[in-house]
Amino acid sequence: MPEPSPTSAPASTDSPTLTKAQKKAEGRARQEQQRAAKAAQKQQQQQQSGQGPAGSSSTKPKGSATPRKSGLESNTAASSSKDTEGAGGADGSSDGPKSRGLRIFSHFGLPKTPGHQIKGDIHPVIVRLGLQFSEFKICGANARCIATLTAFKTVIQDYVTPPHNTLSRHLMTHLSPQITHLVNARPMSVTMGNAIRQLKLEISGSDIDLPEQDAKDALCHKIDNYIRDRIIIADEVIEDLAVKKIKDGDVVLTYARSSLVEKILLRAHSLNKRFSVIVIDSRPLLEGKTLLHSLTSTIPPIPCTYALLPALPSLITESDIVLLGAHSLHANGSVYSRAGTAMVAMLAKEHTVPVMLCCETYKFSETVMLDGFGKNELAPTKFSPDAPKSNSNLEILNPLYDSTPASCITAVVTEVGLIPPTSISSIPLALGRMSL
Amino acid sequence: MADFQIYESYQSLLKNENLSTPLAAILALTEMMMHSNAGTMFELLNELKGGAEALSRQTSNPIGLNAGCELFIEFITSFPQDAASFSELKTELIRHGQQYAEQALTYRAKIAELAFDFIKDDSVILTHSYSRVVLQTLLLAHKRKRISVFVTEARPRGLGIKTAEMLTAAGIPCTVVLDSAVAYAIDKVDFVLVGSEAVVESGGLVNAVGSNQIAIIAKAANKPFYALAESYKFHRMFPLSQYDLPSHNPGVLSFPQALGARALPASSGLPSKSSSVSSDNGSPIRITQEDIARNNPDVDYTRPDLISLVFSDVGSLTPEGVSQYLVGMFAG
Repeated sequence: MPEPSPTSAPASTDSPTLTKAQKKAEGRARQEQQRAAKAAQKQQQQQQSGQGPAGSSSTKPKGSATPRKSGLESNTAASSSKDTEGAGGADGSSDGPKSRGLRIFSHFGLPKTPGHQIKGDIHPVIVRLGLQFSEFKICGANARCIATLTAFKTVIQDYVTPPHNTLSRHLMTHLSPQITHLVNARPMSVTMGNAIRQLKLEISGSDIDLPEQDAKDALCHKIDNYIRDRIIIADEVIEDLAVKKIKDGDVVLTYARSSLVEKILLRAHSLNKRFSVIVIDSRPLLEGKTLLHSLTSTIPPIPCTYALLPALPSLITESDIVLLGAHSLHANGSVYSRAGTAMVAMLAKEHTVPVMLCCETYKFSETVMLDGFGKNELAPTKFSPDAPKSNSNLEILNPLYDSTPASCITAVVTEVGLIPPTSISSIPLALGRMSL
Repeated sequence: MADFQIYESYQSLLKNENLSTPLAAILALTEMMMHSNAGTMFELLNELKGGAEALSRQTSNPIGLNAGCELFIEFITSFPQDAASFSELKTELIRHGQQYAEQALTYRAKIAELAFDFIKDDSVILTHSYSRVVLQTLLLAHKRKRISVFVTEARPRGLGIKTAEMLTAAGIPCTVVLDSAVAYAIDKVDFVLVGSEAVVESGGLVNAVGSNQIAIIAKAANKPFYALAESYKFHRMFPLSQYDLPSHNPGVLSFPQALGARALPASSGLPSKSSSVSSDNGSPIRITQEDIARNNPDVDYTRPDLISLVFSDVGSLTPEGVSQYLVGMFAG
């Protein structure tokens, strides 16, 4: 809360100094007087207008804020250094010198410590996966989704339905804590959410009369099918479609690393297309290095240029097409992707370079995303080794994602064809109303 | 089957003034079915696909034609196969094909009615080149409202003059403006009305070259840009840029070889292919209209954000609406 009790805040900051105690006392007395006068005035007003308690609670902080400010102003003459100290104390959000909090960003998914608590009956596979997630050993929407589903297969196989229960009713209560554990390790990706929703549907729809082992096998088979149809085959179709848009002599620009973009570029190379790639990258993850490595280790290597985001304006003019990956695609056509993607897309639009976003339909989310502040995630501190000392006034903020508006995307390449970003919501497959 | 030449049939169908390229393609494919002796649906579809490919190979600008072929083959594929025998099914399909083409001819009147509501009395309209559906709309508007029309010349084919002649004959005040004078004329114009070769999946428009620059100028001047398109011109294609159109080839906008050869000192010993036009002997280089036309595109692509509305027989659609209609039809 921004307003601590007005009497205590100046008092606590003033107490260490004794030389100016008199001055302070004077100032405080003046404050008390003003406050008393104001309060009296307000009471009168309230009595006149007959305001409810809601009105009084909203006006009170206003009244108390003014005298505190004047009190600080009176302090400026005394000492400027102490003044800032006082302001810091007045903010009052800090609990000790360790963290000053993230203020408006406090709702962002905070990086978790690797050894977070294990509550309840968590399968070892899930514990391991949770660690891999929080350590960023498994990173990327597709990889995380596949890893989660594969782990769930093991969990399902090791699951035994307790007596007087049916699998279709009970399995989900067994899976829920596992999912919670994964979410505690790192906020859930949209892909995982979609896959888990589909899994829940399959579990609740599984036949009660089926022997337990058969039911478990059927579920594992469904999971395999989901991975195959929605991710692996979808990727192959997207590769085919996207490769057609890469022409001989093109310069392809891409940002960070998307597994799908990497596959497309490698496919184009294997089809003997002559093109070069500009890999734009950015701190803190520097994922582009991995992409660069895999592109240059082909035979013959793909000609590549590696640059960081600040160099983009001078390189965008050289490129013929921009290929981007996505974390998720939203109902209003905005794209949630690695932080920096929005900048690349906007600059490409400004230079009339077509932007092709490569994204499977299972990454579609029915929510509307207006900006990158509503929902985001912070990079763990291990990716910023030059972090400031704990008592410094500098706070490091590394959001992992940003939101690109639909107007900056020329086309979205999905397994059902090239579509404009705003049309994703008219594809039944993306909405999960149709299974392949 | 072998004796049937789909391209000739297509060309003879195009002689009919009322048939646009997608419809002619549909009718040509229907005719092909009549001559076909395919025994199964699979064979028939293969033949049709081959025919469609042959057609698009032989034409320089296959966009409109492809839209028609795509629609027809999609229709055949999804046709319920509950006929007693295959030959019956085939005659049924042929009947449907002809029926569709017949019905499609009434679409223009429908579009004209839709677009008519957007034409105010005393409007000044800018149109581009020659389009049957635009012409029909303007003639309808002229019956009940006072309109005047600017029409661009539309080089290199100069089809705008044909439009101007027909409008003048109908008594509509009409002036031909140069393609390069659109920006000069735009402030006098209330809105722009163009036809289309194809409407693509992005919601954009493929039309006679020059449409794009008119759309850009109209956008800059804040004038509405309306496109008219029959639904059989909706095409499942997503051009990312002008050079991503199937009609684009390396010859378009290429630089002449003669000048490049002259710059190289090593090639002086070899007589240039076009030595007759070389300026070495002092004769001036002549560039004919044909030379210009050869190096220039027939059609261009207009981005969806430049288009205000697309009028079609399925309704007045925004560009987003067009793309959703197309995605729903083919990707659904």
